This record gives sequence, structure tokens and C-alpha cells, in this order.
Amino acid sequence: MAVSRRDVLLGSAGAVGAATFSFPMPALAQTESIKIGCLAAITGPSSAPTIGFNRGVKFAVEAINGAGGVKGRQIEAVMRDTQGDPTKAVNATQELISQSKVHAIWGPLNSGESLAVTPIMARAKMPNLHPCVVESLIDPAKFPDAFRIAPSNNQWDDAVRNYCLKILKVKKIAVIGDTTGYGVTAVGASVAAFKKDGAEVVYQANIDATQPDMTPDMLRAKNAGTEVIVVWSVSTGMEARMFNTRAAMKWDVPFVGHPSMASGEIAGLVDNPDNWKKVYAIGYKSCSYDASGKLPPKSEDLVARLLKANIRLDDTLLWWIAGGIDAIEMVAKGVAESGSTDSDGIVKYWNTLSKYPGYFGDYTFSPTQHNGYPTEEIVMSESSTAKNGTFALAPGYS
Amino acid sequence: MLASILASGLAAGAVYALVGVTYNTMFSTSRVMSFTSGQLAMLGGVFGSMFMLKLGLPVIAGLVLTLCCCAIIGIVTEFVAVRPVLKNLDQHLYVLSTLALALMIQQVAAIKWGTEPQPFPKLIGWGNGVFDEKFWLPVAACIVTIIGLEYLYRRTLVGRAFLAIAEDNFAARALGLPERNLRIASYALAGVIGGIAGFSGGELLLAFFANGALLNFYGFVPVALGGLGNNRGAIIGGLALGLFQQAANFLVGGVFSSVAVFTLFIIVLLAAPQGLFGSATARRV
Repeated sequence: MAVSRRDVLLGSAGAVGAATFSFPMPALAQTESIKIGCLAAITGPSSAPTIGFNRGVKFAVEAINGAGGVKGRQIEAVMRDTQGDPTKAVNATQELISQSKVHAIWGPLNSGESLAVTPIMARAKMPNLHPCVVESLIDPAKFPDAFRIAPSNNQWDDAVRNYCLKILKVKKIAVIGDTTGYGVTAVGASVAAFKKDGAEVVYQANIDATQPDMTPDMLRAKNAGTEVIVVWSVSTGMEARMFNTRAAMKWDVPFVGHPSMASGEIAGLVDNPDNWKKVYAIGYKSCSYDASGKLPPKSEDLVARLLKANIRLDDTLLWWIAGGIDAIEMVAKGVAESGSTDSDGIVKYWNTLSKYPGYFGDYTFSPTQHNGYPTEEIVMSESSTAKNGTFALAPGYS
Repeated sequence: MLASILASGLAAGAVYALVGVTYNTMFSTSRVMSFTSGQLAMLGGVFGSMFMLKLGLPVIAGLVLTLCCCAIIGIVTEFVAVRPVLKNLDQHLYVLSTLALALMIQQVAAIKWGTEPQPFPKLIGWGNGVFDEKFWLPVAACIVTIIGLEYLYRRTLVGRAFLAIAEDNFAARALGLPERNLRIASYALAGVIGGIAGFSGGELLLAFFANGALLNFYGFVPVALGGLGNNRGAIIGGLALGLFQQAANFLVGGVFSSVAVFTLFIIVLLAAPQGLFGSATARRV
């Protein structure tokens, strides 16, 4: 049979046309893994929180997959090491979105990186959960797909102020921070809020964290009649020096403030373990034990499961692990409830959550409020009482 | 308050003075202001803490190993950051090369040691309050170092050879002095002095990677105030800086005390560009 040029053209056109019709792939869609991108500073100087968060992520992924996955679909955590560097975080975010094609992203885990990548994720309509504290990271109008599952700076500030004014019932406050951008901003905001609530800020200062002797500032604070010192700094060296100076001055003023005051490194920096008493750092109800040494039942259960799974708790914080678990479970729940990995469905589901029972806290979101962590869950902890990544409640809580 | 100003001011000042002497020791044989001086002092604290607290070595062994490590870093500075640029001293390339090495040392310390300050052990356990050893130990180390250097420079052949190189490099070489080996030895000596600064000030400053940049600057101020290459000037300048800084801390507060220090520094340099104890050198035109 002779084949004409017209036949060849028609045949080719038919083949091309047939190729453009995609075959239905329902089976593939149902079995494809749910990819959750994780932007984490696994290495580098700011890797301590990541180590804790990642233990939670791994635990949650194994638990969900071990129970059959989400409607049969396995969860895959696609981990990227940002090394705490915003530039690397940007590259990793773009790679996760365009190459790895993840369905949601957990992280970054520090505000500096988050500030750099949140707009990128917003442009890609990528569902995003993070634990970063900077206020501007949450803006449902600008970043409708970004949700915070930890307290913001303002919530920390509110909790510290409430503890000082309502539980310690003190009126004369000293507010001290370091000279970093964070320290200066936090001291300014804290002082303004205390004054607004009628407290008398008798002393405020920003101290260079490398200053070897804290006597000048402590002496000025004491002479001003300070009843409590509020600290906003991440420098454990500076904090330990203040505790040592307080002891040398034979002064028993309490310190209240930043969670870093409960960092395990301080144990080696104080001259005497007693110098670390009467130091109350920001903590959380879910991760604080009462006078009888008991955590809330749900946290007790979690700790038991974690220990059974041979997950170390003594070198990290429970809330980091709990936050990692909550993030993975919320994505899984979003896929399960919306019925797909579509961004819109997951975000829509998160926007409906009211008192969602996580391990770290009960989260509430709405289309106009993406700060999900409840302020009333924030409490003060006795800094020197670390046990399995949890702390004793500070005095005054029932 | 006066006792506190004197105690912590002299202690910090002694550390600054020793870092100033480190600058001068390197400068004397190479005409290079090496910005690794502060990092050597930082490493004195970090190595000391590592050997004694992490590895559990006794104080003497910890001190000896710390000084050896710092001497090696000093020699590395000579090979890596100084020797390649000696031919072009007039282009001041050493600023870049030594600064780059200083940043590398700081970053490696941050990654390997950590970014949080680590404790430094009590060395002797004598004294408390303003007589705590963390205050008098740096001063004692400074005095011992000065005596040691005076003995070295005045009573030993090697010390006199150092002075000869410092005085006139070309003439010393013409006399057959091994200029290159002496320069390496002076960098090792500078490493030891920097190590002593960090080790003796460890209880005051803690073992902290960020101390390097701080000591680089506050160690440079006494050199500029006292006159380049003038150890007596560096010692007096360092102690004066420490006292002034601590007095300013008490009188005007932490942030403003830095401003006060910089202001005084600029005023002194405007009034005496060669430093308070330096002499203007003749320049061939």
C-alpha cells in the first residue's frame, strides 16, 4: 500500500493530538507521598532549636506512617539545612517549591530566615507553619498562607508583664536588654507597655553582652528601688553575670524574662547554683510541671512515648519537640480534612481551627488571625529546674 | 564603687594591655599590625576552658597546652597572613590578610566551640568580692609578662636580636642575624602573650568566640594611645583605658561608656598622632 505525504501528516497530527490528552491518574494521586518541606538550621551556630524540633518532626512522621499514613498516603519530610543563613534559606525555599514540589513547608525556625523567605512562600501560595517570634511575619493580608504555632514577641511581653504586675504584684520595674537590635527593640516595647499599665519603670538599660562586670547597672537598678528586673536578651553570658553580681551584692531581687535565662549553659556560668534561684524565664503550661512534679496529662503521655521511642529529652526543650510534632500533624490533618494536598484546601482548613489540641498548645486560627498560640498558655518557669526539657512552674501559679 | 572601678577596671585594662603588647611584639619584627592579636587572646580563653573543663587537665597542663596552641596560631599568622605581603608593606595589604585570618579564626571558633559563652574554671580559688582572682589574676599576669619581656629583651641574646631587628631590619640582616627565623619566633612569642591575656582573663571574659573582635579593638586602642611598638605605652594605655571605661560604665552607663572611650581615643590621637608615649619618626622625603 502506498503511503502518501498526506497520510503521514494526518497520522503525525493524530499522534500528537492523542499525546496531549493526559491519561487519568487517580491511582497515582492517591498513593503519592505527602511532601512536607522542612527549613531547618541543622548545622551551624543556631542549630540547637532545630535539633529539638527535628526530633519531633521525625517522631510524628514515623508515628503517622506507622499507623498507615494519611488515607493511605505516606508522609515524607524533605529536610533542607539552612545553617541559620537567610540566603541559604531563600535558595532552599525556592528549591523545595520548584524542584521538590512539596505540599507544605514547616519553618524556617528563626526569624531572620523567616523574614527572607515568607514573601517567597506567599507568592507560591505555599502553606507554611513556623514558630518564629517577630510580629511582622504574620500578616494574613500579605501572607495568607503563613501561620504561627508559637508565641510572638508581644505575647511574651504580655506574659512577663502580667506575671510581674498581677502575680508578683510589684510596681517598680527595671528593664534590661543587650545592645543587639532585638535587645533594643524588646526593651523599648517592654518599657512602653509597663508604663501603659501603670507600672513605674525606675531603670532601663541596654548593656553590651560582652561587658565583663555588671556591677554598675545592677547598682543603679538597686539604688532606683527596683523590685523586679525584666531581662530581654539571648546572651547567656550576660545573664549569668547579672545573676552572679546580684549574689555578690547580697540582693534578692527576682529576674523575669527571656527563655534563654533557663538555658542549660547558665549552670556552668554561675559561680554558685544558688545564684540561679529566683530567676523566672518564659515557659509554657504544657511543658511545666507542678509542685508534685507532674506535667499536664497529655504532656506526661507524650514524654512517656518519647522516652519509649528512645528520644533524648535531657539536652533539649520539650516545647521544641512538641512544636515539631504539632506542625507535621497539622499538615497531615489539613490534607486529611480537605481531601487533597492542594494549598487552598489546607489553608482553608487551618483557618477554621479553634482550640485545635496540639501537644505544645491549643491553636486557634481564623482568616484574619494567624497567630495561633494562646497567650494564657505562656507562664513563667523556675529557670534552674530543667527536667526532660520541662521546668517547674514559677511561684504564684495554682 | 571606687573599689569596684579599680578592681574590674584594672583587670580589663591588664587584658587590653597584654593584647596591646601582642600587637607590638608582632609589629616589632615585621612592621605589620596583625589583627589576629585579639583572636589569640580569645583563643587563650577557649583553649584554656577546653583543656581544663572539657578534657579535665590540671591547670598547669592546661596553661602549657594553651600557650603552645596560641604560639602555633601565631606562627601560622606569620606564614599565612604576613610573609606573603611583606614585600608590599607600603600597600598595607596586611590589613586585609590579617583581618581575613582573624575572621577565619573567629568563625572556626564559633562553629567548633559554639556561639554561647562557656565557663572558664577557677584557677587558684583565692579571694572574693573585689579581691576575687578574676580581678587580680590578669593584673598579676600582666606584671609577670612585663618582667619576663624585660628580662628577655635586656638579658638574653635572642631578646637583643629581636631589638636589633626591630631597630633596623636591614642592618641586623647585614650583621648576619637570621631575620626570618627571628620573625617566626616573635610571632610565636606574640601568640604566647595573647594566650596569657585570654587565659588569665578567662574568668572575667569567659570562653567566648566574640571576645576576639572586642579585644582586637580594645587592644588596639592602647597601642595607638601609647605609641606604636612602645610596650610601656601599651601597658599604661591599656590600664588607663580599662579604668576609664569602667568609670564611664558607673557614671554614664554601658552604651554611653563606649562613646566616651571612642571620644577620648579620637581626642588623644588628634592631639598626639604618634601616641602619648611615641616619638615622631623622621621620614625620608
